Amino acid sequence: MTSATAPASPGDVGTQANGTTSGTGSQPSRASRRGASGGRASGGRASGGRQAAPRRKKPPTAAGQLLQSTWLIVVVLVLWWVLSARSTNFFIPSLQQILEALGTDLTNGVIAGGALYSLSNLFVGLAIAVVLGVGLGLVLGEVGWLRRVVDPVIHFFRCIPQAALVPLIIGTFGIGQGPKMGTIAFACFWPILLNTIDGVLGVEPTVRHFSKVYRVPKPLYFRRVVLPAALPQIVAGVRVALPIGITVMVVSEMFASTEGLGFYILNSSATFQVPQTWAGALLVGVVGYLLSVLFVFAERRLLRWYYASGAK
Amino acid sequence: MTIQDSPAAATTHVMQVRGMSMSYGTGAAFNPILQDLDLDVVAGEFVSIVGPSGVGKTTLLRCLSGLLTPQAGTITVSGDEVHGPHPDLAVVFQDYSRSLMPWMTTRENVAFPLQGKGLGKAERNALADENLAAVGLAGQGDKYPWEMSGGMQQRVAIARALAYQAKVLLMDEPFASVDAQTRFDLEDLVLKLQHELGVTILLVTHDIDEALYLADKVVVIAEKPATVVDVIETGFGEDRDQLATKADPRFAEARARIMHRLKKD
Ligand SMILES: Nc1ncnc2c1ncn2[C@@H]1O[C@H](COP(=O)(O)OP(=O)(O)OP(=O)(O)O)[C@@H](O)[C@H]1O
Ligand SMILES: [Mg+2]
Repeated sequence: MTSATAPASPGDVGTQANGTTSGTGSQPSRASRRGASGGRASGGRASGGRQAAPRRKKPPTAAGQLLQSTWLIVVVLVLWWVLSARSTNFFIPSLQQILEALGTDLTNGVIAGGALYSLSNLFVGLAIAVVLGVGLGLVLGEVGWLRRVVDPVIHFFRCIPQAALVPLIIGTFGIGQGPKMGTIAFACFWPILLNTIDGVLGVEPTVRHFSKVYRVPKPLYFRRVVLPAALPQIVAGVRVALPIGITVMVVSEMFASTEGLGFYILNSSATFQVPQTWAGALLVGVVGYLLSVLFVFAERRLLRWYYASGAK
Repeated sequence: MTIQDSPAAATTHVMQVRGMSMSYGTGAAFNPILQDLDLDVVAGEFVSIVGPSGVGKTTLLRCLSGLLTPQAGTITVSGDEVHGPHPDLAVVFQDYSRSLMPWMTTRENVAFPLQGKGLGKAERNALADENLAAVGLAGQGDKYPWEMSGGMQQRVAIARALAYQAKVLLMDEPFASVDAQTRFDLEDLVLKLQHELGVTILLVTHDIDEALYLADKVVVIAEKPATVVDVIETGFGEDRDQLATKADPRFAEARARIMHRLKKD
């Protein structure tokens, strides 16, 4: 996080967008390929770009991608199964026990209801974050003076560890679903906002000039020019926000909650139902993984032009 | 210089520039680019502005198109003083491939500016297809710009400017980054379209031959800060040919005159 602040000029919030990624943001900077503002806009994303390089050379097919990204998981699961089979450690049950616990609680509805509760919090929270983050990011990216005014505030908030705020928010706003969604939205908002600003700053200057000379009205300009131009960056922001949201989702259910996956994990752990604790954690992982796979599919559809033109 | 003062003549002037000066930066970084520049463009005319690289041609076009506000002087387009992009102007940018949007098909790229003019979708698409056909890209509307060669992308940018139906087309070194043959083809295409559509074209280039071959009037800008150092009426008429026109003795004479002008500073 802190390292990303080095190359940026103090006025530019967007430069540090992927400072929070810890390598997850594999969205390369298109701007860096396209000169002008690119050098500035891509500053904070050097590591992301490097990771993505092989992927951009030859975009794999969806099936190929799926195979590529699943085989290692299968290997890990098999190893886990074999190595944990004879475990006598109370805190490390065999994978078989874990899966049995998972199966039981899935079929009797205990965990399924919790998952549904958790996921609905996650989706609503994430949706709020996307709408606010993209909307505000587009405006801040376009309006330089406003960006410079709010820059310190953004930096202050993005540096606060989101999970640490959970008890405060829930303490303040109560234990209902609303505050949980709000907490998730708050946590997911920052990477999306910062990446959106970054994406807007990377819009080709010639395209801006074109839009001015051809007198493209502002609403149309935002919808059909700035938004698509910034979309690769926005999608990268959402990709970063997703695991943050999942973490906050679980944590938010560990405080004065009676529902959700976080509650299930905490509750079973407190009652020494170790296989159930593992089952809950495993389920969170699986859900997160499935969501990111879904995300990749959505991304490929949404950014078809981006991958196709970038692959050239 | 062709400053005409009679009101009758002034009405045919689709663009007039008087005493325009433009600079970048302030204080120590002050960098005067254009100084006391005059320019007249008559409706239907093809005017080339020729000047060496870095002299300020793009800066001049940015002022004319309302993207930059000059420090001094006036620009009028269709009789209105320019304080921002004028609806009668369309620009083909120097880095044309970057001015096309990769998330839109070529048809969408051409049709898009028409949406801001309030045209319906069917009308927009019809105009786009019509103008794509006019630049020799019939049936290519569903392709994306990045699926096209540089020359084709330039045609798309020209089609977009034509479809906008502006009175004046400003072109910034539109053929600078294509090969010689494509360049000749595009030059002839632009000449043909200009005659067919009667549009006024102001083209900026550093290539003397190109400026002469295309234009009715060549405006030479030079020096630092740049100003108009010569205006030449070419008088080649409507029928031009890459070989014959360039072999015309008047061509050689004008060419020598421009080179001489550009050498002096
Ligand atoms: N945005 C800017 N800020 C400061 N200086 C600029 C800017 N744009 C151009 N200049 C300077 O103004 C001068 C003229 O630039 P301009 O792009 O107008 O030249 P040009 O004649 O179009 O050159 P070329 O033939 O290479 O396109 C150059 O010295 C350039 O460095
Ligand atoms: Mg230029």
